[in-house]
Amino acid sequence: MEFLLDIWGFFQNNILTKPQFFIGFIVLIGYLLLGKPIHECIAGFIKATVGYMILGVASGGLVGNFRPVLVGLKDRFELSAAVIDPYFGQAAAQMSVENVGRSFSMMMLVLLLAFTMNILLVLFRKYTKIRTLFITGHVMVQQSSTALWLVLFCFPELQDPQVVVMLGILLGTYWAVGSNLTVEPVAKLSEGGGFATGHQQMFGIWITSKIAGKIGDPKKSLETLKLPGFLAMFNENVVATGVLMFFFFGAIITVLGPDLMHSIDKGFAPNQNFGFYILEKSLYFAVYLTILQLGIRMFVSELTNSFQGISEKILPGSMPAVDCAAVYGFGHPNAVTIGFLFGAFGQLLAILGLIVFNSPILIISGFVPLFFDNATFAVYANRLGGIRAATIIPFFSGIIQVLGGAFAAHYFLTGVYGGWHGSSDWDYLWPAIGVIMNNLHVVGVAIVVIGLLAIPQIIYRMNKDTYFLIAEDFDAYKELMAKKQGVSVDEVVID
Amino acid sequence: MAKLKVIAACGSGMGSSQIIKMKLEKAFKKLNIDAEIYHTNVGDAKSNANNYDVVFCSESLVGTFGDVKATVIGLKNLLSEKEMAEKIQEKIIDKK
Repeated sequence: MEFLLDIWGFFQNNILTKPQFFIGFIVLIGYLLLGKPIHECIAGFIKATVGYMILGVASGGLVGNFRPVLVGLKDRFELSAAVIDPYFGQAAAQMSVENVGRSFSMMMLVLLLAFTMNILLVLFRKYTKIRTLFITGHVMVQQSSTALWLVLFCFPELQDPQVVVMLGILLGTYWAVGSNLTVEPVAKLSEGGGFATGHQQMFGIWITSKIAGKIGDPKKSLETLKLPGFLAMFNENVVATGVLMFFFFGAIITVLGPDLMHSIDKGFAPNQNFGFYILEKSLYFAVYLTILQLGIRMFVSELTNSFQGISEKILPGSMPAVDCAAVYGFGHPNAVTIGFLFGAFGQLLAILGLIVFNSPILIISGFVPLFFDNATFAVYANRLGGIRAATIIPFFSGIIQVLGGAFAAHYFLTGVYGGWHGSSDWDYLWPAIGVIMNNLHVVGVAIVVIGLLAIPQIIYRMNKDTYFLIAEDFDAYKELMAKKQGVSVDEVVID
Repeated sequence: MAKLKVIAACGSGMGSSQIIKMKLEKAFKKLNIDAEIYHTNVGDAKSNANNYDVVFCSESLVGTFGDVKATVIGLKNLLSEKEMAEKIQEKIIDKK
C-alpha cells in the first residue's frame, strides 16, 4: 500500500501538478496509441511540452507588464482594469487558478472531457439533435481556462475530480449546442459549405441571423462602399495590437503621470523619455501576445489535427465546427472591416460610459473580440440586412462586449490580473451561467445544462423536415425549399 | 518536381490557417504533389512570401499581399478540397 502511495505521490508531484508534462504525456500516449513512429511521438511530446511552457512565460509576461498600470490606477483612482481579450483572459484565469493553489492541469482534462461529451452528444444525435463537433483547438484551450476559473470561483471547496467532471459536461454541452446553432446561418451563407462555426460568438451568430433581416434591407448592401486604405493595417495582428495598446495604455499612463509611474515601475529608468516609456510599455503587449500565440500554435496544432481525424473517422455525417473566420471568404471584404469599425465605435462609447458613471473597473479593448466577433456578425448581417444591419449589430455588440466584460472581470475577480475572456458569448451568456452557478450551485449547473440541451430540441421541432437535410445535403435542401415556395431551384429564396 | 513550399495564412494564424493546412495536405496528396505546408498569420506570411512558392488564404485577404513573388491563391471555402484541387490545377500545375 505504501508503495502504491509512493507511486501516486511521484505521479502527482511530477506530472499531474505540472501542466506542461501532463499535456506532453497526453500527446505522447495518444500518438503511441495511434501507432505513430517513435520519433514522431517524441517530437509531439517535446512540441506540446515546450508549447505549454512558452504559454507560461507569455502569460506571466502579459500580467507582469500590466501590473504597474494596475497598481497606478488603484493608487490614484481606486480603479481596477481589464483587457477584454481571450488571450489576456486565459492568462488572468491561469493566474487566478494558480493563486488559489489549484493545478492548471485540470484545464487539459476539462478540455478532453468536454470534447468527449460533444462526441457523445453527436453519436446520439437521433435523440440529442446535435449535428456538430467543435474542433477549434486554440479556442477550446481558452474557454477551458476561463470556465475552469468560473467553476473554482463558484465552488471553491469542490475536489478536483468533481470539478473536472462537472465542467466537462457543462462546457461540452455548450460546445455542442452553440456550434449546432450555427449550422443554418453558415450553410445558407456558404451555400452548403459543409462546416459550422465552433468559436466564441456562436449564440451571437444565431441572434444576428434572426434579427438582421428585420433591421435592414439586403438590397442596400455595403459592396459599393469605398473604405480608406489605412484600415488594411489592422489585418496584421501585431500592428493592430500595438496600435490599440498604444492608444489605451498611452491614455491611461499619461493620466497617471510620469512621477507616479517612476515610483511604481522600476523598469522606467530616470533618464528615459516619458513618451518612449509609454511606447515601449504598449509594444510589450504585442511581444507577449505574439509569444503566447506561438506557444498555443505549437501545442494546439497537434490537438486540432487529431480532433479533425476523429470527426472524420468515427462521426460520419456530423459537421466539423471550425474558426469563425472560415466564413469571411463568403462575405464581402468590406463587411469584415465595417464590423470591426462599428464594433470599435460601440466599445469606445461604452468605455466612455464606464468612466462617466464611475465604474469601479476600467475596460481596455482587446483586438480579438473587437475584430473577430464583430467582423463575423457583419458578414451575416450584410447578407440578410444590408449595410444598416452590418453597422448597427456590431455597434451594439461592441457595447455588450464592454459592459458584459466589465461586469465579469469585476464579479469573477479576474480584473485583479487585468484580463477577461471578452469574446461575445463570454460577455453575456457565460457571465449569466457563472452567476446562476454562484447562486444555485449544483442545481444551477443542472438548470444550465438542461436549458442548453433544450435548444436543439426546440429548433428541431420547428423544422423537422429540413433539420438534418440542411447539414447533410444542401442541394437536396434547396430542392425541397424550392418545392415549398413553388419555384425552380434557381429562383429559390433562402434567408 | 522539387518539393513545393506552401504557406497557409489567416488573420491571426491560429484557426483558419490550420484548417486550410489540413485540407491542403489531403488535396496535394491526391494530386501526387510533394508539398511542405506551414501555417501562420497574414503579416508573417507577407514578409516571408518570397521564400515560398505558393500562399493560400481566404479570398478576403488576397489584397493584403500586393505583388509578392509567390503565387497567392484565394479560397472561398477554406474546407473544400474540391476548390483547392481545382485551383492547384489551374494556378500551379497548368502554369508549369
